[in-house]
Amino acid sequence: MKWRQDDVNKYITAKEYIDTALLSLLPFHILKDDEISKQAYQSDVLQIFADELERELSGRTMQIPPYTYLHHTDKQQEVSRLNTWIKEIETQPFKHTFLITFDMGWKKYERQLEGQLIWLPVIQVDHIHDNELKRWMHENVKQVSELIRSYW
Amino acid sequence: MSDKKKQVTRRQFLNYTLTGVGGFMAAGMLISPLRMAIDPVLQPSGDGDFANVGLSVDDITTEPQPVEWEVEQVDAWYKSDVTRKAFVFKNDQDEIVALSPKCTHLGCMVSWEGSESHPDQFYCPCHDGRFTKDGTNVEGTPPLEPLHVYEHKVENGMLFLGKAYPRGEA
Ligand code: FES
Repeated sequence: MKWRQDDVNKYITAKEYIDTALLSLLPFHILKDDEISKQAYQSDVLQIFADELERELSGRTMQIPPYTYLHHTDKQQEVSRLNTWIKEIETQPFKHTFLITFDMGWKKYERQLEGQLIWLPVIQVDHIHDNELKRWMHENVKQVSELIRSYW
Repeated sequence: MSDKKKQVTRRQFLNYTLTGVGGFMAAGMLISPLRMAIDPVLQPSGDGDFANVGLSVDDITTEPQPVEWEVEQVDAWYKSDVTRKAFVFKNDQDEIVALSPKCTHLGCMVSWEGSESHPDQFYCPCHDGRFTKDGTNVEGTPPLEPLHVYEHKVENGMLFLGKAYPRGEA
C-alpha cells in the first residue's frame, strides 16, 4: 500500500493483513554544487526502488512517506527522531519496520535503531533510464523482498 | 433611488458570488468520481493499446513464463512509464493465456511454483494465497477471485498484450 487516500482506506479495512512498514531514509543537502547532482540522483533511485519494492509486496506492506534529514547533521540526534517515527508507526500496529537507505552513515547506529536497517550500495549510472540501472533495480528488489519475506 | 439601486446591485453581487461558490463546489464533487475512474490502481488498464512484449509465439510453452514490458500510463496528473508483468503459457486447448501476476487478494506479485509445497500453482508470498495454473483462486486461501487475464493478439508471430480484465469480462 502507498500513502495515498485509496490505499489507506483499503489498509483500514484490511489491517490484519498488513503488518510491515517500509520507510526510506532520504538524506538531503544543497550546499556543495559539486555534490548535489549525485545527491539528487540517489534520491531519485531510492524512491524508484521503494516504489518497486512496494509494488512487489503491496498487499502486506505500507510505504511510509520518506524520512528526510540533512545529510550532515548529527546522526545520534537523528536516531532518536527516527525512533519516534518508528514507535508511532508500530503503535498502529505494524509488526515490522524496514528502513531502506543508501546512506552508510546509519550503519554505525544500526543497533540503536528500532527498525531493521537495509543498507544498499547505490549503483552509479549516467542516466536514470540506463539499462544497467534497470537490471540493478530488478535484482535488488528481488533480493530485498526475499529478505523481508524471511521475517514473515 | 440610487440607494435602492445600489442594494440590488449588492444582492446581485452576493447572488453571483454564492452561485459561484456553489458551482465551484459542484465542480469539486464532479472531480472526485472522475479521478477515481482514471486512477491507475482502480483501473490498471492505462491507454488500452496493445504492446509487443518481445515474446515470439513459438517460444510460448505450456510452462508459465514471466514477461515484462513498458507502457506509458496517463493518470489524472502524470504521464509515466510503468512496467507491466504477465505470465504467459499455452493451455491444454493450445490457446495462449496471459495472466496478471497481481494477487487478487491485496495485490502482491505472485510467482509460478513460488512455494515448494504447491507445485503447479501460482503462489502469493504475502498471505499464502494460491491459484491453479489457469488462474483460479484456491479455496481456503485469501484471494476470492481468479487472477486477471490480459487480452492478447498475435501479429507477425509476436505476442501483443493489452489490458488485464477480471476473468470472463475480457
Ligand atoms: S496479497 Fe496475495 S494472499 Fe494476500
